[in-house]
Amino acid sequence: MVSSPLLPASQQAQSIYDLFQIVMVIAAVILLIVTGLVVTAAIRFRRRPGDALPRQDFGNHRLETLWTVIPFLIVTAMFVLTVRTMRQVDPHPIDRKPDLEIEAHQWWWEFRYPGAGVVTANELHIPVNKNLYYRLTSGDVVHDFWVPQLGQKIDAVPNHPNYAWISADAPGTYLGTCAEYCGAEHAWMRIRVIAQSPEDFAAWVKDQRQPAVSPSGMGIAGRGLFLGLPCMNCHTIAGTSAQGTVGPNLTHLASRQTLAAGVFDNTSKNLARWLADPQKFKPGCHMPNLNLKPNEIKVLTAYLEELK
Amino acid sequence: MMNKNKMAMVLFIASEAIFFSMLVAAYVYFHIGPQQGPGAADVLNPYKTGFYSVCLFSSSYTIWRAGCNRLASRRRTAGWLVATIILGMAFLFGEAREWDDMIHRNVTISRDLFGTSFFTLTGFHGLHVTVGLIMLGTLLGMTLLGRSDEPRWDAMESVSLYWHFVDAVWVVIFTVVYLWAFL
Amino acid sequence: MSKHPSAASPSSIREVEEYQGLLSWVSSVDHKQIGILYLLASLFFFLFGLSEAASMRIQLARPENHFLSPEQYNQIFTMHGTTMIFLVVMPIMIGLSMYFIPLMIGARDVAFPRLNAFGFWIFFFGGLLLYFSFIGGGAPVAGWFGYAPLSEKAYSFSPGQDYWAVALLLTGTGSIASAVNIIVTTFTMRAPGMSIWRTPLFVWMTMINGFLLLFAIPALNAALVMLLVDRNLNGFFFQTSHGGSALLWQHYFWFFGHPEVYIMILPVFGIISEVIPVFCRKTIYGYGFLAASTVAIGFLSFAVWAHHMFATGIGFPMYYVFAGASFLIAVPTGIKIWNWIATMWGGSIRFATAMLFATAFIIQFTVGGLSGIAFAAVPIDWQLTDSYFVVAHFHYTLLGGSLFGIMAGIYYWYPKMTGRLLSEKIGKVHFWLMVIGFNGTFFPMHLMGLYGMPRRVFTYPDLPHLGALNLFSSISAAVLIFSLLIFFYNLAISLYRGEVAGDNPWEGWSLEWATSSPPPPHNFEKVPPIRHRRPLWDYQHPDLPDPVFEGTRHDE
Repeated sequence: MVSSPLLPASQQAQSIYDLFQIVMVIAAVILLIVTGLVVTAAIRFRRRPGDALPRQDFGNHRLETLWTVIPFLIVTAMFVLTVRTMRQVDPHPIDRKPDLEIEAHQWWWEFRYPGAGVVTANELHIPVNKNLYYRLTSGDVVHDFWVPQLGQKIDAVPNHPNYAWISADAPGTYLGTCAEYCGAEHAWMRIRVIAQSPEDFAAWVKDQRQPAVSPSGMGIAGRGLFLGLPCMNCHTIAGTSAQGTVGPNLTHLASRQTLAAGVFDNTSKNLARWLADPQKFKPGCHMPNLNLKPNEIKVLTAYLEELK
Repeated sequence: MMNKNKMAMVLFIASEAIFFSMLVAAYVYFHIGPQQGPGAADVLNPYKTGFYSVCLFSSSYTIWRAGCNRLASRRRTAGWLVATIILGMAFLFGEAREWDDMIHRNVTISRDLFGTSFFTLTGFHGLHVTVGLIMLGTLLGMTLLGRSDEPRWDAMESVSLYWHFVDAVWVVIFTVVYLWAFL
Repeated sequence: MSKHPSAASPSSIREVEEYQGLLSWVSSVDHKQIGILYLLASLFFFLFGLSEAASMRIQLARPENHFLSPEQYNQIFTMHGTTMIFLVVMPIMIGLSMYFIPLMIGARDVAFPRLNAFGFWIFFFGGLLLYFSFIGGGAPVAGWFGYAPLSEKAYSFSPGQDYWAVALLLTGTGSIASAVNIIVTTFTMRAPGMSIWRTPLFVWMTMINGFLLLFAIPALNAALVMLLVDRNLNGFFFQTSHGGSALLWQHYFWFFGHPEVYIMILPVFGIISEVIPVFCRKTIYGYGFLAASTVAIGFLSFAVWAHHMFATGIGFPMYYVFAGASFLIAVPTGIKIWNWIATMWGGSIRFATAMLFATAFIIQFTVGGLSGIAFAAVPIDWQLTDSYFVVAHFHYTLLGGSLFGIMAGIYYWYPKMTGRLLSEKIGKVHFWLMVIGFNGTFFPMHLMGLYGMPRRVFTYPDLPHLGALNLFSSISAAVLIFSLLIFFYNLAISLYRGEVAGDNPWEGWSLEWATSSPPPPHNFEKVPPIRHRRPLWDYQHPDLPDPVFEGTRHDE
């Protein structure tokens, strides 16, 4: 999965890519001219024994004016294209309620769907071919939401909500990342956007709205442990007494593809490793090492992996 | 071409002007819009501060007089310098009283944004006044104890420029912090 | 003025009587000694900056590498940026300015020699203070740009951030002092006959640079004191949890930060404008446009800062204004390239190492400038800001541009400063390895950014192409660093075994070549009369005198 603005998967990203191509062509031409002239001069005018003193040329106002005016016209043209693309990429609605609320934290993403009452983390599901308006905030420092294939990046600034659009033209998984240095684990604040057909998306929303699955087998002990340990102080599992909001919502943890904002693929083995020592895999993250015993890890993993 | 010492002082003042502009801009930025907690209007006394401000403004006059008398009479120059220093110290004294009063009423640098921006801005201004007083003291010392050509005209003028600048900054601060709050 | 050493003067800086002994250096108020002290201090800090770069490239050579912990990496990249900008490039600019401005204007020293010394020592101690942080509780970890609220105490507990702020206040004070000195010297101490229109372009550019320093550094100082108030007196300027503003920090920082990048390139434009004519045996093409465009850059550089904030959500009106200004500033910056090429064109080019570096500079700086223009196009910035594409951009301008230009200046002026030529043989090895190493390290970074790699990350996932690009970049970095070691060797060995330079080994035309190498402490036995822009040209070519440009009342 290549995460690149050169592979646009939305109208927005396509507009930006179009502008990028034009600017790159202009830049390449200018670079070729400059390099060509320099290399030609270097070869043609290299000093040879017996060379006479070159003609002392102090300048030519007309030529210099010309080579000032032409670049000025080029940048003016680029400015016009820039304005046009800006308007295509980020048309500002007046008075529209956001479809999505994204809150950035050190070092995970919270996604809320106000209309549907869904709260999830790190993995954003969207229906294809719909331009969604989102509100971006931060719970702590400045972060940045960037999914290159789907469009612009925009900062999550505490105390200063920002608004932008996101959409995808085709179903698929689109990778993104935090793009503003936000501390120790900035590198592991990855984003996964899953664009789905309207039916699949509706099904996903329906699942996400359900409270947490009731556990069975070892999972029951796991839930008991979860609610007895500090876990519930930070995490929410809907339908239980765990209503903490410091860390990601875990109600449907097992339905996600990755753990810890992209550090691991979501498997039982990885989850167990994470629970054993989060600081080993994401040093500096705000989840402390709870010094769990192996059988505690076993039952907790069993419980959490049931939370589809 | 301007004398090099004067030119240096002018350039330095230009850079300090940028520095103060940033602190003033921060104060203004946080003062626009609704305030949480006590704001300038609740806490400041423009009359008392106005009195001490007049002291500072008058000191611009006295330092000018000192400069005028540099060649004519060292005694008078010294006298005018002393007056300038006393007026400057009066200003600092008034500033200190105001700070003391505010701190006793629990309006501190760490209470809210008004406190943070107010104390930072007036604190740095007070620091610049203090440095100015040290320079004035040096000029006074040279007038009383130095050779017949000391202090040199460019030293006198450079310090005067600095002192006028510090005064001008206070005009801006007084307007933005005190007058704006009450108008 | 001859190529041969002046009769009674020493042919090596090691033999100058007044420069013997450590005390003469530590207590010096001689602008030449202070200039060299700046260069030596920069070299010292450069070693740290390079070590930091090497560590970063080792860590990033493979995806999910464990050579450095996140905490270590984050301290190192913060220190790398802070060091290279404040403790290497800026002091080199100031050092070369302090050394050569008085010589090029025919003066005996700068306007304020003691202030010059103050400026150096406070910079040096500021740098030492910054590095003390490693053993004083931890280096700063919020990046060279210290964005709030990350740099506030709540998120950066260690005192490293305070060390950073105080150290930069110290170096900043030194910079302002130096700026005042440079401006006053240039305005008041030019030799009789040297009107502003006959002043060498290096002096023009460093003088304008003085104004940039004068107005940009106080903005940083204000931001730093506000941060210190927040961190140590519990203020709220940037504490968003209490109504403070994260964006205010960014505005203040970039109001400084943008002129800062011009501060790091203008003197280099000056160096290039001196080097190219001499090695092409042709006068600089379009002196007037070069000077005027630099003045334009000086003003415009204060009008573009928010192009660093296009992704922050400050609103379209701001974006339009700053995009427009950013596109505009490309014009006076870019047209210089044409002037330099036109100077080469029709010349008789000798590719001494200095000229090789100047030539590479032209192409590499153009690459950096063009990627910069891409960022002025706001939607492109929306994709590529904060990615490795930006890292490529600023390394092309600062390393491919500034550092290569500095190399040209060093190869050009080392003989004047020390009395010995740098080895041309070693120089050529240095040059080619550096070109290969530099481009190999940083060109792939354009692609890394285009493949979605964000910047300021201690590692990255094993996504397509990123591993290969990073590995290639890291291996090239080793070549680049090796080339710099060769350079350091050249600096050292040439001091002892370099060919004696004489007064004017390059047959240059500006006044620094009208005295011995190294110059005597008082600079000139006698300043030649100045009737033209190239005071020494007429001596070399009496049958082809330069036209007289606007003079002064001192003209005969």
